[in-house]
Amino acid sequence: MANKPKLAVYWAASCGGCEIALANLNEKLLEVLEHFDFVFCPCLLDTKYKDVEAMADGEIFITLFNGAIRNEENEHMAKILRKKSKILIAYGSCAYEGCIPGLGNMYHGDEILKAVFIDSPTTENPNKLLPMTKTETKDGVLTLPAFYEKVKTLSMVTEVDYYIPGCPPEPHKIWEVISFVVEKLSTGQSLPPKGAILGAGSSTVCIECDRKKENKKIKTFKRIYEIIPNSEICLLEQGIICMGIATRDGCGALCPKVNMPCTGCYGPPEDVLDQGAKMIAALGSVLDIGDTKGLSEEEINRRINEILNTIPDLVGTFYKYSLPGSILQGKIKGR
Amino acid sequence: MKIGLYLCKCGNNISEKIDIERVKGEMSKEVYVEEVSFACSEDGKQQIELSLRENNIERMVIVACSPREHERTFMKVMESAGLNPYLMQMVNAREQIAWVTEDIERATEKALRHIKGAIKRVSLHQPLEKKEVSICPDILVLGAGPAGLKAALSLASAGRKVYLVEKSPVIGGMPVRYEELFPNLECGPCMLEPMLGEVLHGEYSENIELHTLSELVEVTGFFGNFNVKIRKRPRYVDSTCVGCGECVAACPVSTPNEFNFGMNQRKAVDFPFAGALPNIAWIDDKTCLRFHNQECTACIEACPLGEVVFRFDEEIELFERQVGAIVLAIGANLYDCSRIPNLGYGREADVLNAWEFERMLASNGPTGGEIKTSKGKSPQRIAIIHCVGSLDERYVQYCSGICCSYAFKFNHMISQKLPEAEIYHFYKELVIPGKESIVLFNHAKHNPKAHFIRYDTIDAFEITSNTDGEILLRVKTEEFEGEFLFDLIVLCPAMVPIEDTKELGRILEATQDKYGFFEELHNRLDAVQSKIKGIYLAGTCQSPMDIQKAINHGVAVAGYILSNLVEGRKIEIKPIVAQVSDRCSGCKICIMLCPYKALSFDENLGRTVVNEVLCQGCGTCVAACPAGAAIAKHFTTEQILAEIEGGLR
Repeated sequence: MANKPKLAVYWAASCGGCEIALANLNEKLLEVLEHFDFVFCPCLLDTKYKDVEAMADGEIFITLFNGAIRNEENEHMAKILRKKSKILIAYGSCAYEGCIPGLGNMYHGDEILKAVFIDSPTTENPNKLLPMTKTETKDGVLTLPAFYEKVKTLSMVTEVDYYIPGCPPEPHKIWEVISFVVEKLSTGQSLPPKGAILGAGSSTVCIECDRKKENKKIKTFKRIYEIIPNSEICLLEQGIICMGIATRDGCGALCPKVNMPCTGCYGPPEDVLDQGAKMIAALGSVLDIGDTKGLSEEEINRRINEILNTIPDLVGTFYKYSLPGSILQGKIKGR
Repeated sequence: MKIGLYLCKCGNNISEKIDIERVKGEMSKEVYVEEVSFACSEDGKQQIELSLRENNIERMVIVACSPREHERTFMKVMESAGLNPYLMQMVNAREQIAWVTEDIERATEKALRHIKGAIKRVSLHQPLEKKEVSICPDILVLGAGPAGLKAALSLASAGRKVYLVEKSPVIGGMPVRYEELFPNLECGPCMLEPMLGEVLHGEYSENIELHTLSELVEVTGFFGNFNVKIRKRPRYVDSTCVGCGECVAACPVSTPNEFNFGMNQRKAVDFPFAGALPNIAWIDDKTCLRFHNQECTACIEACPLGEVVFRFDEEIELFERQVGAIVLAIGANLYDCSRIPNLGYGREADVLNAWEFERMLASNGPTGGEIKTSKGKSPQRIAIIHCVGSLDERYVQYCSGICCSYAFKFNHMISQKLPEAEIYHFYKELVIPGKESIVLFNHAKHNPKAHFIRYDTIDAFEITSNTDGEILLRVKTEEFEGEFLFDLIVLCPAMVPIEDTKELGRILEATQDKYGFFEELHNRLDAVQSKIKGIYLAGTCQSPMDIQKAINHGVAVAGYILSNLVEGRKIEIKPIVAQVSDRCSGCKICIMLCPYKALSFDENLGRTVVNEVLCQGCGTCVAACPAGAAIAKHFTTEQILAEIEGGLR
């Protein structure tokens, strides 16, 4: 038992879906346990932070770190686990790109606290108290980790070895990564270069999607409740914003297979820096505003806006998973 | 990797504004730095070449003038130093920095940023090689009007094989149907006949393969290597026909003659008009009794050559040809005057458009050249309405630029034939450009029988007929109001694209402008080249124009082809093209975006492929590709980011 490499799974700012995905390995979890010793996993084990802090540097072989960096505690644990782990993997979209918590970057930390603790209609807070990092009480000082202005990705606060994309990563892909690492270890081969994306392809979701794809021209965008999409034709061609064209493959095109558009959880394809910008560039190229010859600039703008107005939430559509990790990172204060 | 940085002082042009010493001082030790007084001079080039060799430089950054001026020069220096010419990056320190930045410190700072960007970029450059493909020197010319004929003849006389494809049974285009042409009142058929003769039986006619009654139906390939499919409708008469016309007299069935716009009848076997070339009768299978289950042999019996001339079993023929370039010379149309109902066109028999009137004036036309009304009367009052449909937002915005000239030709010809006739010119604007049109205009101006009335909008007219068969023309403008009785009204409509433009544009993927004419590559510099490489435009399918300009277009096209599509010379493919990696997932976002039609989808590979002959390296597909699979060689994301990063320091 003592010879088995140690495995840790930690959650920072996340929903818990990544743990569920891990649990969805089902019987395979037992195989994981054959190869690894679970030493830290707040969702399964009662290991305390101090137990982790007490470990030797590099004692943990792999840490699967899920969740974004929203507060001081997240960052603290990221740095500790970095130190204690040989391999730190940003596991899941939150740790990799910021994901849903990252959409909070359209606001600032203080705006969010105010919305939650003061402005929210279901909150009764007549003294307008906000959480504080230190509170003096008669029994002593109570502390809370500081809430950050902006959500960060794991790699923004510490060095990351590998990334596993997905919200959550698909269980078969998690298994693929684990068995890949086990195989490499058992055969003495070297692991992939630092920064590699594991458990995913390098193309886009379209490569796994069986829908028929034709040359594209989009007259208007539709939301999924507005039409019943044809199940054989590319969703994008039907006006549904399917992020599949700008999203890394690996999931098996699960959403398009059940007539739902891809929302982009596997992040940008290989060598694409900014998933949202790429998607916007692609869609901008295929908007069908008719023949523009001889039209005034105002008329062209009007036609473009008419189509764009059919997209209800630009950031939530194009940067649903990738805002903190994108070039934009979020809204700039005061703008 | 050893990078050499060469700083051209360009006399004082650069060194006066950029502190060369400071630039040298800020370079890292790995970069080899050398000053050159005039890098583009023979001495300068030699100095750089020698230095590149002696210092074992692998990549060069040259700080000098605009790449537009000397990038080629320094690429050649790289080549003579044994280096791949693409392993170089040029910093435009003269036009973009020294000439536009007053302050030395700021200019130097700016230069440093540019240089650092260039150094970062050049280290990521890849050696690129030009490729070559062989070409087919033959040419397809569509349309045998003046422009197409001239192009075909010019190319044929240069020894090129030309496939001349004409939709109608007759060659010569519209002008062979006009009795006289402006500005010199030359006889249209007589003027063009020598050219037609050259095409059919001239010195180089064996280089021209003429196909009448034929159309282009399909095209694949690209500049230098097009594969074209032609559909040829049967003529049912062999080329051994001597054109005697005995069969025409014998043919028992008639139909309205479309070559005279229905103003008379023709036979099922006929010639479009007297003198039409090629001088071979043609049989209209919609009219001929033999195609309606009747056993008629009238033409065969009348033919002095007998049965051998006739080919009633001919069928529609589809054939393919290989060509390197395609010339579009399909002509134009007249605006349909019936779309302006107040003019009475199509309703009143004596309201004619310019083409119909041309045929009336023609001695081989429906009236034998006699001007007469539908009732056979000799008209004494004739109106000529200029600018029909033109200069009007609702119809055609532009001025065709030729109508006034032929309207004054009409004036002249009417006065010759009917000296007593009163002629009224109703015009919006008078346009008589060039050095020659003024003669006919002056003639009309000094013609005591000619009257000029200006109108502001085509709505000013109300044309109806009275019970005596005269036409009542009411005109009401801001300055003028009147009622006239005319025997004949001639409308001079705008010249508009011919219907086939759209379909042909679709087949060839050649774009059309906002009026529907084929769109030129550049309206001043390249008006006879389309936006698709290897497809050229000649004559009125590109814009309204007169015969002179159409003929010039024909020659211009031949010139372009002879210089672009040189027999035996291969087409050089510039290496800065797009590339699609196997990461392409086949979403097909890119394919329709390519302005050069260089992208296609390979079903076997399941991804987009780039035709490097057609690709111009514009990067449109690269920007659009959501998978990051389209890459622009020499402008990769990494290279561009490195340059930006260097610039940001």
